Amino acid sequence: MIPTEKITKKLDIPSDIGYIKKVSREILAHLQRLKVDKSIQFDIRLSFEEALRNAIEHGNDYKKDLSVAVAYEVDAESIEIEIEDQGRGFDVKKVADPRDEENIMKESGRGVFLIYKLMDKVRYNKKGNKIIMSKSLKNVSGGQDAD
Amino acid sequence: MQIKVEEKNGIKVCSAEGDIDINSSPQVKKAFDKLVQARSEKVVINLQKVAYIDSSGLATLVEILKNFKNAGGKLKLCSLSNKVKSLFEITKLEKLFDIKDSEDEALQTF
Repeated sequence: MIPTEKITKKLDIPSDIGYIKKVSREILAHLQRLKVDKSIQFDIRLSFEEALRNAIEHGNDYKKDLSVAVAYEVDAESIEIEIEDQGRGFDVKKVADPRDEENIMKESGRGVFLIYKLMDKVRYNKKGNKIIMSKSLKNVSGGQDAD
Repeated sequence: MQIKVEEKNGIKVCSAEGDIDINSSPQVKKAFDKLVQARSEKVVINLQKVAYIDSSGLATLVEILKNFKNAGGKLKLCSLSNKVKSLFEITKLEKLFDIKDSEDEALQTF
């Protein structure tokens, strides 16, 4: 039987990339219990891991005294994830399009782009240190442009 | 992550198994750096058993491609799962890489 109750969780994660898989596995376990389509699980896993890595790497600059606040809410219909670092924030509009000819050979710059493509709704707070993203667990369509 | 390297008709076939992500990317790069140093000219990366690639993994594959090209080698990818293939399509990396549906097709088109 598929669980119907809403699960809400808040975590403070150290700025250590070793924690990414641990939390990601926890979220995936909820999705598996809800029998979410594997394609949707893939999109959520990738988006979560990219966003958390950005928070640890670019937001908190791997500083061990800084943490990342992760909150998620999941039920049979959808998932919403918030990830907030303690950094200065950034302007998502200034993230270059990795598909452009001058960027296609670059080895970085695809994480945020993929999040926008794989999740249904993505937004940042004004400061740019908090991402809020959500996805329906009921269909496979989605994605929006970063600009 | 495991990478098995075999030679078939003078072509190095590298079968990867596991996730190519931030944790395994350094290991993947190191394995292919060895092939570049050994001046392997024709290389196929079989991704049939790779179910997950993140942006670090994509970046690593781009770096590997650049290194092979700079060394005068040719690289093909084959047997991508639908989800992994979709990442190449979304990011337009499908234009950069020579991607084949099967290992046989990759071997036959060198």
